[in-house]
Amino acid sequence: MAPSQKTAKPSQPAGKDIRAFFGGSQKSSQKTPNATPSAAVGSNDKSAIEISDDDDMPPVKQTSSSKSTPKPPTDVQAKPKPSAAPRKSAPPALKPMDVDSDGEPAAKKRKKPAALLSSDEEDTPPKKKPAAGGSKPEPRLSKVKDDDDFDDDDEPTPAPKFGGPKNTLVLSSDEDEDDEPPKKPVAGGSKPKPRLSKSKKDDTSSDDEEPAPKKPVAKAKSKPRLSKSKKDDDFIASSDDEEPAPKKPAAKAKAGPSKLPDKAKNATAKEPAKPKFNYAARAAGPVAPGSKDVPDGEENCLAGLAFVFTGELSSFSREEAVDIAKRFGGRVVGSPSSKTDYVVLGDNAGPSKLAAIKKHHLATLNEDQFLHLIATRKGTGKLDEKTLKKMQKDKEAIETAAKEMEKREKKAGSKTVDPSSQLWTTRYAPQNIKEICGNKGQVEKLQEWLKDWPKSVKSGFKKPGKNGMNVYRAVLITGPPGIGKTTSAHMVAKLEGFTPIELNASDARSKKLVENGMNVNNTSLDGYIGGSRERDGVMITDRTVLIMDEVDGMSSGDRGGVGALNAMIKKSKVPIICIANDRGAQKLKPLIQNSFSLPFQRPQANFIRSRIMTIAFKEKMQIPANVIDQLVAGSQSDIRQVLNMLSTWRLSSNTMTFDEGKTLAKMNEKYTIMNPFEITSKMMGPYMFSATSRESLGDKMELYFQDHAFMPLFIQENYLKTEPARLRNYDGPMKQVKYLELMDKAASSISDGDLVDALIHGPEQHWSLMPLHAVCSTVRPASFLYGMGAHFGGANSISFPQWLGQNSKQTKLSRALSDVQIRMRLKVSGDKSEIRQSYIPALFPHIVKPLMEVGASVVEDVIEKMDEYYLTKEDWDTIVELGLDDKKDDLVLKKISTATKTTLTKKYNGSEHPIPFYKASDLGKAPKKLGGGPAPDIEDAFEFDEPVDDVSDDDKKDADDISKDKLIKAPKKKAAPKKAAAKTKK
Amino acid sequence: MSLWVDKFRPRALDDLHYHQGLSARLKSLAASGDFPHMLFYGPSGAGKKTRVTCTLRQLFGAGVEKLKIDQRVFLSPSKRKIEVNIVQSNFHIEITPSEAGNYDRVVIQELLKEIAQTQQVDLNAKQRFKVVIINEADSLSRDAQAALRRTMEKYMSNMRIILCANSTSRLIAPIKSRCLLMRVAAPSDEEMQTVLSYVARRAYFDLPPEAAQEIIKDSGGNLRKAILVLEALKMQSPDLSGPLTIAKPDWETYCQKVAVLIVTEQTPARVMEIRAKFYELLSHCIPPTVILKTIAEAVVSQVDETLKAEIMHWAAFYEVRMRIGSKKIFHLEAWVVKVMSLYKVRLFLEF
Repeated sequence: MAPSQKTAKPSQPAGKDIRAFFGGSQKSSQKTPNATPSAAVGSNDKSAIEISDDDDMPPVKQTSSSKSTPKPPTDVQAKPKPSAAPRKSAPPALKPMDVDSDGEPAAKKRKKPAALLSSDEEDTPPKKKPAAGGSKPEPRLSKVKDDDDFDDDDEPTPAPKFGGPKNTLVLSSDEDEDDEPPKKPVAGGSKPKPRLSKSKKDDTSSDDEEPAPKKPVAKAKSKPRLSKSKKDDDFIASSDDEEPAPKKPAAKAKAGPSKLPDKAKNATAKEPAKPKFNYAARAAGPVAPGSKDVPDGEENCLAGLAFVFTGELSSFSREEAVDIAKRFGGRVVGSPSSKTDYVVLGDNAGPSKLAAIKKHHLATLNEDQFLHLIATRKGTGKLDEKTLKKMQKDKEAIETAAKEMEKREKKAGSKTVDPSSQLWTTRYAPQNIKEICGNKGQVEKLQEWLKDWPKSVKSGFKKPGKNGMNVYRAVLITGPPGIGKTTSAHMVAKLEGFTPIELNASDARSKKLVENGMNVNNTSLDGYIGGSRERDGVMITDRTVLIMDEVDGMSSGDRGGVGALNAMIKKSKVPIICIANDRGAQKLKPLIQNSFSLPFQRPQANFIRSRIMTIAFKEKMQIPANVIDQLVAGSQSDIRQVLNMLSTWRLSSNTMTFDEGKTLAKMNEKYTIMNPFEITSKMMGPYMFSATSRESLGDKMELYFQDHAFMPLFIQENYLKTEPARLRNYDGPMKQVKYLELMDKAASSISDGDLVDALIHGPEQHWSLMPLHAVCSTVRPASFLYGMGAHFGGANSISFPQWLGQNSKQTKLSRALSDVQIRMRLKVSGDKSEIRQSYIPALFPHIVKPLMEVGASVVEDVIEKMDEYYLTKEDWDTIVELGLDDKKDDLVLKKISTATKTTLTKKYNGSEHPIPFYKASDLGKAPKKLGGGPAPDIEDAFEFDEPVDDVSDDDKKDADDISKDKLIKAPKKKAAPKKAAAKTKK
Repeated sequence: MSLWVDKFRPRALDDLHYHQGLSARLKSLAASGDFPHMLFYGPSGAGKKTRVTCTLRQLFGAGVEKLKIDQRVFLSPSKRKIEVNIVQSNFHIEITPSEAGNYDRVVIQELLKEIAQTQQVDLNAKQRFKVVIINEADSLSRDAQAALRRTMEKYMSNMRIILCANSTSRLIAPIKSRCLLMRVAAPSDEEMQTVLSYVARRAYFDLPPEAAQEIIKDSGGNLRKAILVLEALKMQSPDLSGPLTIAKPDWETYCQKVAVLIVTEQTPARVMEIRAKFYELLSHCIPPTVILKTIAEAVVSQVDETLKAEIMHWAAFYEVRMRIGSKKIFHLEAWVVKVMSLYKVRLFLEF
C-alpha cells in the first residue's frame, strides 16, 4: 500500500507523457473528440484516462466539471489537500471492507451501475445504450465480445471515450466481479499498456477494482476504497478529489469510530501545520459537515469532565459539538483554565486559547479523539471521588426536599384540594423563601419592607430605612414572565402575616372602580352599608396588602386606572405591590415615581435545576440534569413553562433524553419578533446557510415574513457588505472573479425579486406570490453572499436602506420639476424629462451662472430671464437643487454670495411677475384645510368612535365644497393673470 | 427674451423646415373637415409638439395660441387627491395623465368624459369638435388606455384625440387602430443644418458650417438640444470659430464618471459607490433608462471589442426589467455587477 501511495503522485506527470504518447492514437481512433473543452482541461482528463484503464468514469467527470468551472480552481482544490487526506487515513479502515466486498457489495454494485447508466445517458449519444443493454442480458459470454465491440465502436464514433464506453465498461465490470477477474483487462479494451499491468495484479483483487470505478461516479462514500492499493485506483481517487471537499471526510467517517486511534494520530500530526488564524474560515463553519457519526457512548460517560472547544472542527459546527459534549454529561466552559480536563482543538484555534493550553498543560483532543473518548469512556464508574460525592449529595438533597414536600402535602391534604388535581405550578409553588429560585436579594428586600410597614406608617413614611424603601407606599416589581414575581409577592405577604388582595387583569380596574372599590376618597357609604369592606372574602384591615398584578395590562377598558392607582398609592395606608413585565412601558411612567422599583432577573439555570430535579423526583420522572438545563435554557429561565412542559411530558413518559429535551424546548420556543437589522444580520451572517445550519427553507422565508416590506430593502442595501463564506477556498484574482460571480447571481436575483414585487403590488395584486418574493428578494441573494460581515466582526455595519430616503427625495424633486415644467409650458413644448435634460442645463448659464460669477449686479437680468419663462424664486431653487456633479446645489450655492442671494430674493419679491396660472392649492384652499375644523383630539379619537366619523365626514364635505369653490373661482382669477401674461409677451 | 428654441419655433405648417410631406398631409387633413384621431410618435426633439400646434392653428386659427393653465384635482377611488395640470385654449385641451402616476385612468375617465359630453359653445369656432392632446401617451397604464378605447369612438362627434408618444410599442393595439399614425422622424443632418442656419439668420449671425456639424454630431437628432447647444455656444464664444468644445450637460458628465468607475475597479465597495451615484442621478429626476443608456454607451466605448455586444445585451435585458419592475435601482445595480463580472473574467483570462 505504502508504495502505491507514493507512486500515485508521480503517476500524474507520467500520465501526461503517456497521454502524449496516446494522444495520437486516441485521436486517430476517435475522429471527433467529443469532450475536449480546452487544452488546459485536456491534460487532466487524459492522464486520468490512460492510467485507469477500466474506468472511463473519472475522466468524464472531469471534463464535465471542467466545462462548467474554469480550470484553475480545480487544480487548487484537488491537488494539495484532498488527495492526501483520504490516502493517509483511509487505508487502515479499508482492509476489513475489502474482505466483505465479495459478498455484500454484489447487491450494491448492481444498483450503482444502473444509476451510472442513467446519468451517462443524458450526455452520451444514443448509440451507447444499446451497447450497454446488450452486455447486461448475457453477461459472461458477451463480455469479451463487448470489449471488442467497444473497440469497434470507438473507432467509428468520436464521443465514445468519454461518454459511451463508460456505460458499457461499467456494466461489464460489474459482471466481471461476479464472474471472473480476467475479463477486466479486456474490458479496458482500448487502452493497451496500463491495463495489462493491472490485470496481472487484478487477478487477485479484481473485486476491489471493479467497484472502484462505480463509486466515483456515484459520488458516494466508497472513495477510500479506491485509494487502496493500485496506482490506477489511487489516481482515480485523486482525480475525484477535485469534486467538492466534503466527500472525503465522509469516507473517513465510515471507517469512523472503530479505527479512531490511527486516524487520530494522522490528524494530530497534521493539525499544527496551520499557524495562521483565519476568522473568516472559522465563521464559515465546518468543512465537511455531517461526515462523522456520533458514537453511541455510554450515558453520562463524560460526566465530571470540563471541555473547552476552540477552532473549527471538520465535521461538526461548534454548536453541535457543544451539544454532543453536554449530551454525554460533559461540562462546556468558554475559556481554558487549570480546571479544564480537555481542550478540543479544531482548525484555526484561537491564539489566546492555545496560549492558555500551554500555560496550564492541558490535554488536547482533536475531533476524532473526542469522538473516540465518547465511544470508549466508561461512564460514571470512572468518575473521581469528588464528583461522585457531589452527585451523591445532590441526590440526597433532592430526595430530602422531595420527602419534605410530600410531608407538607399530606398535612395540607386534609383541608385543601387533592394535590393531584392541581396544576404543577400550583402544587409545587414555593412555600418558603428558601424555595424561591433566584432573586433572593429582591425578595428579602420586599419582605423587610413589609415587615417595617407598620413602623413606616407610624413615622409617616419619613424614615428611609435600610434599603431606602420605607418612604414608599408601593413597590413595583418588574421582570419577564414565569420567574416568580406573583408567587414571591404572595408568599412574602403571607410570611409577614399580611392578607393579600389581588387585582389582576381579569378584574376591571378603571378609574371609577379603583376609586370606589377601594373607597379611596371616602365619599361613599358603600362600605358601611353594603359591608363591602370585605373583598374576595377578606376583610380589609391594616394587615392587608394590595397586590396589583399585571399592571401593564391595564388596557383601554381600564381607562384612568393607572392614574387612579397612582392617586391611591399616594394616600394608601395599606402596602401596595404592583407587578408588571416591562418596566419601560409608557403606562407605568406615573407609577415609577411613586413606588420603589424592584426589578427581578431571570434566575440562573443552576438555581432552577435543583428545584426542578426535586419535583421530577417526586413525580418519579427520571430526567438527567443536563436535560433540565436544556429545558431551562430553551424557555429562557421561565420556571412556569418548564413545569408545564414537564407535566405534559409526564403524561406520556417518565424519562426524557437529551434530544427529546431539546425538541421539547424547541417546540415550546417563544416566538420572538426581530427587527429588520437583526434579521438581516442573521440572514447574511455566516451561520444561516452554512452546511450545518438546521434552518429549513421555510425557516428562512419566515424571516422575510417577519417584515416583508423592509427585508428586501435591507438585503439589497447590505448584501455587498459581507465576506462571503463561499469564497474561502479561493485566493488571489480567482477569488475576485468568483466574488463578482456571486454578486452577479445575488444582484440578478434581487432584480427578479423586484419583478415579483411589481406583480404583487401592481394592479393585479398577486399576493400569493409572496413566498416567491421571499426567496428571490431575500433568501436567494443571502444564500450566495452569506458570511462574515456586519455584527460578525466585519467592517461594514448594517445600514438602513437608502432607498426609502432617496425615493422620497426623488418624489419631492420630481414634483418640484413638474411645477417648473408646467410654468414653462406656455413657452416650451417639452415634457418633464426634456426640461430636466435639456432646458435646465441650457437655462443654467442664463439664470444661475451670472450670479455665481458676477454677483448682485446681474440680479435684474436674471429676474427678467426668469419672468420670460414664468419661473418663480422657488423654481429657481428647484433648478439649482436639480444640479448634479459640478453643478451640485451645495457647490453652486457656495459660489453665490449671501449678499447676492438676498438681493435676488428681495428684488424678486419686490417686483411684479407674470404668473401663468394659479395652483389649485394657492386658491385659498390651504387656509381652509388648516381651518377645516379643529384637528381631532387624539384622546377623543381613541375614546369614542362616533365623533371621529362625524369629524371626517365634515372634512369630506369641506373638501368637496372647497374643490367646487376653487373650480368656480379658479378660472376667474386665472383670466386676469393670463391677460397680464399675454401683455408681457407681446 | 426667450431662448432661441422657443423664440424661433415655427407656428404654422407652412413655416416648418422639414418633413414637408407630412406638413402637406396635415394641411389637407385639417382642411377636409374629416379630421381623425391621431397618434404622433417619434424621438424627442423631432418636432412632434410643434407639428401638433401648427395643425391646431391650421384647424382653429390663431385662437389656439391663447393658452391658459389650470390645475384640476381628481379623487382617486381611495379618496386620494390627484393634482393634474391642464393646458387649454378655447378649442383644445392638453393633459399629461402620467402626472397622476398609477391613477391616470381616473384622469382619463373623468376628464375626457367631461369634455366629450359638452359641445363646442363658441359659435364662431371653425370646427364643431374640440381636440384633446394627451402627452406621454406611451407611459399611460394599460387601464388608462383601455379607458380611452370606447371614449374615442363614442364621442367622436365632439372630440378628437391627438396622442403624443416616443414609441408606439407600449400602446395597445386597439388604440393604434383607432388613430391615424403620424411618424415624426428625427431630422437628418442636412435638415438640421438648414434649421440651425435659419436660427442663426434670425439671430443675426453667421454659423460656420464646421460649428454646425459639431453641434449636429453632438445632438444625435434632437433638434431641441441642437438649438439649445447652439445658443450656449454662441454665449460661450461669440464668434463660433476655432475648435469648439461643446459642454455636456451635468447629468451626462456624471454618467461618464460612473462608467469610468465601472471600468477601473470591480469590487463590492465600488458597486456601493456607484449605487450612491445612481441614487443621486435618480433622485435628480434623470430617467433610469436614460441613465442606463448613457452609461452603457460610455462603458462600451472603453472596453474590448469582444465585450461590447455582451454589455449591450445585458443593458437591454435589464432595461426591460426596469420598465416592468418598480425599483429601478435594483436593476441598474444588477447590470453594473453583471458588467463588472464580465469585465473581470475577461481581465482574468487575459492574464
